[in-house]
Formats: sequence, C-alpha cells, structure tokens
Amino acid sequence: MSTVVKAAGTPTSAKAQAGEIVVSSVGKSYGEGQFVKEVVKDCSFTIERGKLTVMIGPSGCGKSTLIRLLAGFEKPTSGSIKINGKPVTGPGKDRLVLFQESALFPWMTTYDNIMYGPRARGEDTKEARSLAEMLLDKVGLRAFRKKYPTQLSGGMQRRAELARAMINNPEVMILDEPFRGLDAMSKELMWEYYSRLYEESGRTNFFITTDIDEAIFLADRLLIMTNVPTQVRAVVEIDIPRPRDLVSLVDDDRANEVKMEALSLLHEEAMKSFAGGSKAAADFIEAYSKRLRTKKE
Amino acid sequence: MFREHAASMQSRPSSEAEQLIVRLLKRTMPFQVISEGMLQSVAAVSRPFSYRAGEVIYRAGDKADDVYVVVSGAVDHLLSDTPTTVERNRVMHSGDVFGWAAVLGQDKRVRLATATCVETAEVIRINGAALIERLNDDPATAKVVMSRFATMITREFGAPAAAAQIVAPNRTVSDAPAAVPRPRGHATGLALTLYRISRWLRSPKPFLMLLGFALFLGFWYLSVQVWKLPRFREMPGLTTVFHEWFSKNPTYGLSFYTPEYYQDIWVSVRRVGIAFFLATALGVPLGLFLGWSRTFREYVFPVFEMLRPIPVLAWVPLAILMFSGSETPVIFLTFLASFFATALNTMLGVESIDESYTRAADCLGASKMQVFRHVIVPGAMPYIFTGLQISVGVAWFSLVAAEMVSGQFGLGYVINTSYTMVRYPTIGIGMITLGAVGYVTSALVRIVGDSMMQWRVRELALGGR
Ligand SMILES: Nc1ncnc2c1ncn2[C@@H]1O[C@H](COP(=O)(O)OP(=O)(O)OP(=O)(O)O)[C@@H](O)[C@H]1O
Ligand SMILES: [Mg+2]
Repeated sequence: MSTVVKAAGTPTSAKAQAGEIVVSSVGKSYGEGQFVKEVVKDCSFTIERGKLTVMIGPSGCGKSTLIRLLAGFEKPTSGSIKINGKPVTGPGKDRLVLFQESALFPWMTTYDNIMYGPRARGEDTKEARSLAEMLLDKVGLRAFRKKYPTQLSGGMQRRAELARAMINNPEVMILDEPFRGLDAMSKELMWEYYSRLYEESGRTNFFITTDIDEAIFLADRLLIMTNVPTQVRAVVEIDIPRPRDLVSLVDDDRANEVKMEALSLLHEEAMKSFAGGSKAAADFIEAYSKRLRTKKE
Repeated sequence: MFREHAASMQSRPSSEAEQLIVRLLKRTMPFQVISEGMLQSVAAVSRPFSYRAGEVIYRAGDKADDVYVVVSGAVDHLLSDTPTTVERNRVMHSGDVFGWAAVLGQDKRVRLATATCVETAEVIRINGAALIERLNDDPATAKVVMSRFATMITREFGAPAAAAQIVAPNRTVSDAPAAVPRPRGHATGLALTLYRISRWLRSPKPFLMLLGFALFLGFWYLSVQVWKLPRFREMPGLTTVFHEWFSKNPTYGLSFYTPEYYQDIWVSVRRVGIAFFLATALGVPLGLFLGWSRTFREYVFPVFEMLRPIPVLAWVPLAILMFSGSETPVIFLTFLASFFATALNTMLGVESIDESYTRAADCLGASKMQVFRHVIVPGAMPYIFTGLQISVGVAWFSLVAAEMVSGQFGLGYVINTSYTMVRYPTIGIGMITLGAVGYVTSALVRIVGDSMMQWRVRELALGGR
C-alpha cells in the first residue's frame, strides 16, 4: 500500500503505479420482469494505468451506475470488471471513489473530515497532517478548518469533499462529477489544481463529467458515452501536451477540433433522449434544425 | 403577458460596452470559441441590465423575447410546469445562460420557468429573434452555438443533476443554500440555550404563555370557586391549593415549608433518574445494533415489537412477583416504557443515516467497526436525543402509575394517598409539582443533547438567525 506521504510530494517516482481497470461487456439492469430497466448494455472499455480517463455522456445515461459497479457496491448483471487482473468483488482500498452524492460527515469539522481517511487507516502521521494543511490552503478553506459542513457554502463543501478525497493516495482514484455545482471561477481553479495533482502523482484517474471544457482540459483520453442503456460511443485521445493552460487552450486548434467532435456526438445522443424526455427541448431542437434547413436552401 | 422591466435599463451600449459584452460572452458556454466578428455582431443586439435581489426577471407564461447571460450575482431559475419534468430549481451564476425560450420558433416563445434575482445581478439580455438573425449570417457558427444551446437545455431537462440534490430528511439543513458564515464565537450548548431564551423573551411568546396560564388558572378559579360548576364542585380550588402550598403550617402536612414535600420530590426524581439511566444504557446500544445488523434485528425486533405495546399497568403484577421490596418494582416499571422509546428511536436514527455517509467512510478505508463508531453512532445521535426526550416523558408517566399502585413516597404516591385520605388540596400541589419537575428534566436532556451535538447546535443556530 502506498502511503499518504507521497500523495502530492513525490513527482515522477510514482509514475509506475498499478491500477489498470478493464471493463468487459458489462451490463446492468434494475428491476425485474416487465419492469426491467437496462441502464448499462454490453459496455467495454479500459482505464489505462497512470492515465487520466474522462467519461462524458448525456445526463442520466448511466455514468454513476458504472461508478457504483467499479466501486463494488453493486454487481454487474453481466460481464466483468477487473482491477489489476483481479475481478472486483466489493469495495476495496485500492480504489478511492468520490460519489456524485457523497457527502461530508456533518458531525465532523472540515479538518476532521479531511483527515478522516488517514485516521481510519491509522496513518495520522505528521506527514498526513501537513498534507491536510496544504490541501486546506489549496482549496481555500484554512479559515474554515474548525467549521462544521453546515457552516460552509455549497461550493466550500464541495471543495472540502475534494480535499478529503485527495489526501489519500490510492492506486486508482474515481471521481463522479466532483466539480458539479461550483461557480465558474472556482471550477477553473479546481481544474488546474486537480490536473497538477494528477501530473505529480501519475496515478490512475477516472473522472466523470458532463462538461466538455472540463473533459478536454483534464483528459488524456475521453470516453464519450451513448444515451441509456449506455455504451462507449467513441474514444478520443487528447494528445495536448501537459501541463495545459486554460487560456491558450481556448485558441488551441486541436482542442477545438476535439471539442466540436465531442459536442456533435453528445448532441446526437442528447437528441435521442428527447424522445422520452422533455417536450420543450424537443421543440427546440426541431425549430433549430428547421431553421438550419431553410437557411441552407 | 410580458412585463417591460423598470429595472435600471441602460442606454445603448457604447463600443466600449460592446467590447465588455464580447468578453463576457466568451466566458459563457454557448459563445465560447466563436469568431470575434460574430461575437461583436451578437454584442450589438445585447443590452446590459441589472436587477435587485428579489426582483422577478420573468415568470412562467410570459412572452420570451430575450436570452439572458449572467454577468454577476445569482439568479434563481425555477422550472415548474413541464408535464414531463419534476419541479426543478437551479441557481445561475456568472457565465450561465438562461431564457433560451427566446430563440425558439415564433409560437413557442413562452417562458417555461420563473427567474428571480437572488443576489443583485448584472445580466446581458440578447434579443432572441435578432440573435437568430445574426447567427444565420454564418450557418457553421450557428450550428455550433445552437448545438451548445441544445446541450445546455438537455442538461436542464434531462435526467436530474438536481436529483442528486434531493436530500434525505436528516440532511435538509446542510443542503439548503448555506449562507456564508461569519466567523463567530464558540457556540456551546449553554450559549445556544441562553440565546434561545433571550430570543424567546424578545418574541411575543412569553406574553402568550402568560396569557395561556392566566386563562387556565382563571378558568380553574372561576369554575370551582365562583361558578361552582356541577362536575367541578368537589375539586380543590385554586386559592385553597396555593394557600396550602405556601402555608408555613399546612393543614394537610405538605407545602414548600415541610421537608416531606422535598422528600417526595427527591424520591420520584431518584426513581426516574435510575430508570432513565438504565433505559439509556441498555436502550441506546440495543437500538444501535437493531439498526446496524440486519440479522440481529430479524431475531430481536419481533419480540421487541410484541412487548412494546403492553401498557405499564399490565406489567405491575409481574413486576411485583419478579422483584422484592417496593422500590425495585417501581423502578422497573418506570424503566420499561423509557427503554422501548429509547431503543426504537435509536434504531430509527440508524436507519435514517444516509447511505452516502457509510459509503464515503467505506471508500476512505474505514473498517466495519470504524463505520459503526464514526458514522452510525454520531449519525443516529439526533434521533437518539429525540428518543431520550420522549423517554423522560414516558418515565414520569409510568412512574406515577407505578407509584400509585405500589411504592411509598413520591409524587404519584402523594397524589394517590391524598385522594384516599381526602386531602384534596394536596392533589393539586402534587400535580403541579409533577408537571414542573417533569418539564425541568426534559429541558435538561435537551441541554445535554445540544452540548453533545455541537454540529447540530451550529446548524440550528445558523438556521435560526
Ligand atoms: N437503483 C436503480 N433502480 C432503477 N433505476 C436506476 C437505479 N439507479 C439508476 N437508475 C436509472 O439508471 C439511469 C442512469 O442513472 P445514473 O445515475 O447512472 O445516470 P448518470 O449518467 O450518472 O446521470 P447524471 O449525469 O445526471 O448524474 C437513470 O435513468 C436512472 O433512472
Ligand atoms: Mg451521475
């Protein structure tokens, strides 16, 4: 087991960390008989070790479901998931999962929340404590270390959660929309911090998002998912050199190319969901395509 | 119906303002990475606006003319009337775009949501029809912008990001948009109690309370001593009871000045104290295990549920057979109902804990035992203390029943013997004392609870301000 000490401090040496995840023809359904709902269908992909893989897909396509399967809290209906060649049978210390709905413990202060992981593993060391201090600074919560979660704003809670996850140094880090709900400014700061952390630690990261800019800024490779029941629709390698810079990325041709490609795929998938989705949105799409058509003629 | 907003409408933007608009547009999702020329063309049909907190920007059903881009502040966007979606609330911040109904076809330009400014907001309003016109100059860009609008709308209408915000009841406060807290002094249980008292004193409540008491006592006095209503004639009158209670030389031997009075109080308090302590010491662990271990619950809970509804009085014979003397049976009877209340509420407390907490602990490497200690116990605490408050209440309730049946001394005993020995005013003294002492013990439990749950204290104090 790697220790907390290395989390942010040691750069290259950690590059060779293990943590390859292979998902092969995984299916997941809920309910029985006529009520069965297929959420994931024959889904295969590989999360390569030491890479930051980002999954993007329409809302409600089944991303969080996949996360629960990876975390081991639920079992796939079919197919298999292997980490380092071993099948996933339950939650394990080799993976750290930050769930979409995971929450700070309301009965612990910000600091105690952040230190929870190391303490639970009996690693309440000087190094862990100084790492906690550093993280408090990074997420801008130093002044709030002794406050309870209910005293923090929504964005602050999110940042505290992030710090609580990042203090640990698992082989694999799995994050489900961790920056959801942050304002644009802190979101960008978090992107920068998170990608730096990834670059320094070189551990395997799997990141879920619905935000295309976030995806492109962070990803080594991008998995674009289909609508429910979800599958990998396309894999895009994002070969923009690191460290990346947000400002120059706006004018980066390659980034924009990828963005367009991803957006059009996502758009197609999003359109599919309108069939059973909102009438208003369907109207919108219809009006919009009609307008484009008339324009072309 | 469309309201033209009185809010400080500014004059046509100068080119400098246009430049600013361009810069702001660049930061929004639909207008990122599109050509400068196009942005300028869009900026030309845009106007900056500002709204004060509380101002309604538009309502569902209004005609939709403009698309809005938030520059600063916050706007609450409540989507409520589409048949296929649940009511959904989103707060828009800098860079967010809303009001896209303005770019729909002519007949569809109706607001589906209500937008309200929650924090003084500056927005850019872009005329929808003009925007479409400008965009159509460059179909390629139009496609990009439109597909981004589509993505945004999907996000709004598609499966809920908001569903993730649907909260378990025990988390309501934490998920409410928390105010950015001002650093404050250390809020202790005592401080909170004092704060509550001072707030209470400043509210109309003390007055109402006094009025309530006055009405009650007045009715007592009038019905018994003045009107002498048929059913009330035999009852001890208000003045008789109080005269006796404050008398240095009470007719029936019980008043503030007699040691017997305090002995009776002490005996009852002691019995309740012991019973309550035992009920807590046994009930809390039992409840925790019932909630925590499914197997344990399958064994124990059915028996528990069968015994729980049996009234205290039905236990009297068994209690007397089981325990010798007069003290132990009374304590046992007092203990019973308390124990059930505590165990049941504790169990419910464990069940109320959101699974995301246990999962988070699991993921952070906590062992089963650690999850129990760090999540289950503190998570159930609010329910445990609710249970304990109920428990003190029922302890007093059962105590009096037990003291009336068996036992010596104690307030229940006083009330009962006063009746048999025809010392009616003493019944009044006993009852009022019982009420007061019961209230004090219940308040004590609450204070202890507040001081043990600092995190809740803060939560509540914050909510109350
Ligand atoms: N336990 C369950 N029982 C039945 N259906 C479920 C269950 N969990 C998820 N689903 C369904 O599976 C679909 C995908 O849900 P999931 O939460 O995985 O989506 P998501 O891609 O994470 O969405 P979002 O981006 O909004 O978080 C939804 O339609 C949901 O209704
Ligand atoms: Mg999800």
